[in-house]
Amino acid sequence: MLTFVARRIVFSIPVLLIASVLVFFFVRETTDPLARLRAGTKDPTTLVREKHRLGLDKPLPTQYTHWLKDFVQLKWGTSFVTNRSVAADMKSRFWNTVQLIFWGILLSGITAIAIGVYSAARQYSALDYTFTGLSFVGLSMPPFWFALMAIQFLVFAPKNWLHLQNPIFYSVGIHSAANAGAVDYARHLALPVLVLSVQLIAGWSRYQRASMLDVMSADYIRTARAKGVSRRAVLFKHALRNALIPLVTVMAIDIGALFGGLIITETIFAWPGMGQFFVTAITNGDTNVILPWLMVVATFIIGFNLFADVLYGALDPRIRMA
Amino acid sequence: MRHVRHRSSLLVVVLALALIAAACGGGGGKKNNAAPTENARKGGTVTLSAEQELDCAAFLATCGNSLWGTFALGQHVLPLTYNIDPTTGKQVATNLLAGPATLETSPVQKITYKINPAAKWSDGQPITSTDFKFTWQTIVNRDDSYDKTGYKNIDSVDDSVPSTAVVTFKQGQPFGDWRSLFAGFFGLVPSHILQGKDVTAEMTNGFTWSGGPWKLDHWTKGQELVLVPNENYWGQKPNMDKVVFKFITDTAAESQAFKTGQVALMQPQPQLEQTQIKALPNVTTIANDRFDYEAIWFNTDKPPVNSKAVRQALAYATDRQAIVTQLFGPLKPDIRPIQSFTTAANKAYYQQDFARYTRDLAKVDSTMKGDGWAKGPDGIWAKGGQKANLVISSTTGNKRRELTEQILQSQWKEAGFNLTVDNKKSGVLFGELLPAGSYQISLYAQTPSDGDPTNAGGCSNFCSENIPKQPALSGNNYTRISDPALDTVLRNVDNELDEAKRLSEFKKESAMLADDVPALPLDPLFQPVYYYNNRLGGVVDNPVYGSFSTLAKWFCKSPSC
Repeated sequence: MLTFVARRIVFSIPVLLIASVLVFFFVRETTDPLARLRAGTKDPTTLVREKHRLGLDKPLPTQYTHWLKDFVQLKWGTSFVTNRSVAADMKSRFWNTVQLIFWGILLSGITAIAIGVYSAARQYSALDYTFTGLSFVGLSMPPFWFALMAIQFLVFAPKNWLHLQNPIFYSVGIHSAANAGAVDYARHLALPVLVLSVQLIAGWSRYQRASMLDVMSADYIRTARAKGVSRRAVLFKHALRNALIPLVTVMAIDIGALFGGLIITETIFAWPGMGQFFVTAITNGDTNVILPWLMVVATFIIGFNLFADVLYGALDPRIRMA
Repeated sequence: MRHVRHRSSLLVVVLALALIAAACGGGGGKKNNAAPTENARKGGTVTLSAEQELDCAAFLATCGNSLWGTFALGQHVLPLTYNIDPTTGKQVATNLLAGPATLETSPVQKITYKINPAAKWSDGQPITSTDFKFTWQTIVNRDDSYDKTGYKNIDSVDDSVPSTAVVTFKQGQPFGDWRSLFAGFFGLVPSHILQGKDVTAEMTNGFTWSGGPWKLDHWTKGQELVLVPNENYWGQKPNMDKVVFKFITDTAAESQAFKTGQVALMQPQPQLEQTQIKALPNVTTIANDRFDYEAIWFNTDKPPVNSKAVRQALAYATDRQAIVTQLFGPLKPDIRPIQSFTTAANKAYYQQDFARYTRDLAKVDSTMKGDGWAKGPDGIWAKGGQKANLVISSTTGNKRRELTEQILQSQWKEAGFNLTVDNKKSGVLFGELLPAGSYQISLYAQTPSDGDPTNAGGCSNFCSENIPKQPALSGNNYTRISDPALDTVLRNVDNELDEAKRLSEFKKESAMLADDVPALPLDPLFQPVYYYNNRLGGVVDNPVYGSFSTLAKWFCKSPSC
């Protein structure tokens, strides 16, 4: 098993390096780190001095090696816009996104598994058809549209109908004020988590259903039933365990992608996470934020893919031998 | 099983009721709205939206020059010598001083500040003349100071008497706008805390000391900044227990937060879409003029606008009232174009010299013909083979300015001028084209730091010595107007210390500018304030420092507003 993990980690390193090269050259070619300074200063010597200070007067490969060295040592510099430490800001943004992902995954995972198991156990029942239909609706619904609908019908409408001073669910930010309490936090969290979960539940429940159906048609399940094991025990003790393997690996891959993929949800709900951080940086041409952001997200995607590989290997010994 | 289901249903009902109860907040629903009272209620927490986050809290340094930094923190914690009276628009001494500072004009300019004996920092230490001296030294000695204007004219600050700061200016370097010193965006900083330290570094991430009615509780970057009352403040103590500034930098999210009641007040950039917000129940809108304004600026080096007659003709060709009505009418029905390089909010210095320029096509014809122009078969003026083709440049992405340009195209076409639009990114426009004079006509705003005539048009904008020159291109006279007589008057306004004489010189300046037309003043840029009047009371606007400057007088009408 250790050899398997080590081999996978070694394979990930060149992928990360290629990602870093692409990220660096793409960002350097498309954004100008001195754009704000050009707009603000009237002294051309300032630009020359800053160019030298930032190492922008050196060849691109040299700039890349310097940047990579600093990135690895977590010396990410300060934002050109806010002058704040990028590492510190990233940490706080990252934590906010982790909260969103955690609750989203928890809700989506439990719901998707429940729906998948039910649909497989009651295949072609009315509720199975309903879940199937709903999952296609969920998969085809753009998150931005669903978010706007959720705000309209779960924020504005109840507030207006019930003549409330504040809405039941908030649609902006992470809390009303620091230490505002768990209820306030939940009221802020509800809609972004809902929006994040809809597509995940739709996709994962289909996986789970297919996987369950696959397992339940296996010989050992039939044998277990023939030996008199109860339907419930077969379903949850024998079938579900094995049917979870493909879903768990899909979930691991999806979680990695979510670290950089919540741009729309975080923007609509003004959630101060990684997605919103990236949008602001792109808008301001803040290369000192864009570069480490892209690398952090790339690292997470690669890291969670690696995790999925390892997990799959751990859950299914046949994979390790492949 | 049935029992469990029953309990689950009950739980759902209880949860729903709890959420609704929480949503009602302390203020209750509409029933409570019917009993508004203007008696200042004590206590409560208010959540406000801030459309920008401050970059840093080192207000004397370049990184601290954000207006929202002043709105959300600076003006609440730094003691100021002078403030703008919201009702008169004049600079008045604050309660930091025992009375207005005294001014001596000869043999050199000298200002004496008598400090209020009750004035003290939040740690109980008195505010003394040493704080004046330390603040001045910090501003002039540091390389990263935001603006040394006026401070660099100071020769010394005498702090031998703790209760009296005597500021003496250098010989031959008087400073007319002396009331802006240790005021506006530059308050005092405590010498006993910051002496011997890197002031910028100490203040950048926020500080808990205060010399104002509030002090910083915490600043969670990217999310919020929270103020609580300064218990040692010597003036009127704040009514509320806590003020939360939520940073909502996305315009749509800010409007959404206000519409859903998540914030009780917002002060956004004016947009026509805000008519919906204005129409919400229990919402009060403040749309007062500020000192900020927009104007159409001419490059007097570029033909054909190098001709005074052409500039005057363009002024007669422009229906400024129609433009401002179309731009701001739905939000501010009584809006009028401004008639000088300051707004009507600047009651002491506002002039009406540009009022003579109302749309009058007959005057356009006579002025142009008088300058030797004749209309061609295409209806466009021409002279010596040169057509009156004009190019206007403003900042890309600003819908309001794009709309202004479209209206100008239509109005000027009818008057015989062919106008094309060539907008640029703000960095290119302000960083390159305007300083280098690589434009013909431009549309942009000015943001004076106070109502002093130095900032109302003034020498920095129109003196010939401030025309940007290579290689540094420093100077703000982007119109490149060069008129020796105007220079003299502008300098007189800057250096004159007698108020009556200053006003007299300023009137001359305003009349000369209206005759030269290096720019055509257009609209007062107001920043609307929207708030729920059933939740908040005591909100008063200030033409420069915004509504937040009166934060200590605001009050919640319920425990949570």
